[in-house]
Amino acid sequence: MLLARVEGNVVATRKHPSLEGWRLIICQPLNAVGGPEGVPMIAIDPYGAGMHQRVIISSDGIAARKAVGDDKSPARWMITAIVDEKEPGVPV
Amino acid sequence: MKLGTVIGRVTLSRSVPALTGGRFLIVSPFGREQFQRGLDAPVSFGSDPSPVVYDDLGGNVRQVVGYEEGREAAQPFDQPTPVDAINAALVDEIFYSPFSP
Repeated sequence: MLLARVEGNVVATRKHPSLEGWRLIICQPLNAVGGPEGVPMIAIDPYGAGMHQRVIISSDGIAARKAVGDDKSPARWMITAIVDEKEPGVPV
Repeated sequence: MKLGTVIGRVTLSRSVPALTGGRFLIVSPFGREQFQRGLDAPVSFGSDPSPVVYDDLGGNVRQVVGYEEGREAAQPFDQPTPVDAINAALVDEIFYSPFSP
C-alpha cells in the first residue's frame, strides 16, 4: 500500500471490459515529507476520491478483481482509503 | 496501471501457443513530466526500460496506452500464460493537475 495524492484522471473508451464504468485516477505516490516520489500510477476508485486528496492505493490484484467483479480482470492498483489526517489533529 | 507511449511493435515467428494471435507493443513509460506535458507532447525517453506489452485492444505506434504489470497481466488468459505486462486501456484523454502546496 502506498500513500498517494490524487492528481487527475484518465479517459479511455477502449479498455478491458472489466474496467467499464470505473473511474481511473492518476495517483502520485508521496515521500516522507509529502512531496512527489516516483511515477504516477493509475488506480481504480470505488470511493470517489477528490482532486488533490490524499489516498492509500493498494497493489492487491485479488482485491481489485473482487471489486470489479471479474476474475479475468487485469486490474491491480485500487484506491483502498481516503486519508483524513496524517496524524491526530493534523488535517491534510 | 501505468501509462506509456507506444514506440514500436514486436512480431514473433514462434511463441508459446497461448500467445499466438496477440500483438506485442514496445511501450516507453510516462515519467512525471510527461503527465504534465500531455498526450500530444513528443516522447521523452526516461531512464526506465521500455517493456514489451501484450496487446489485444489494437494499440498503435505513438498512441498512449495504460498497461498493467505483474501477475495480474496473465489473469485475462484461460490457461497459465507467461505474460507480465498487458495493455488494459487505450487512453483518449488525461486530466492532470500537479499538486503544489
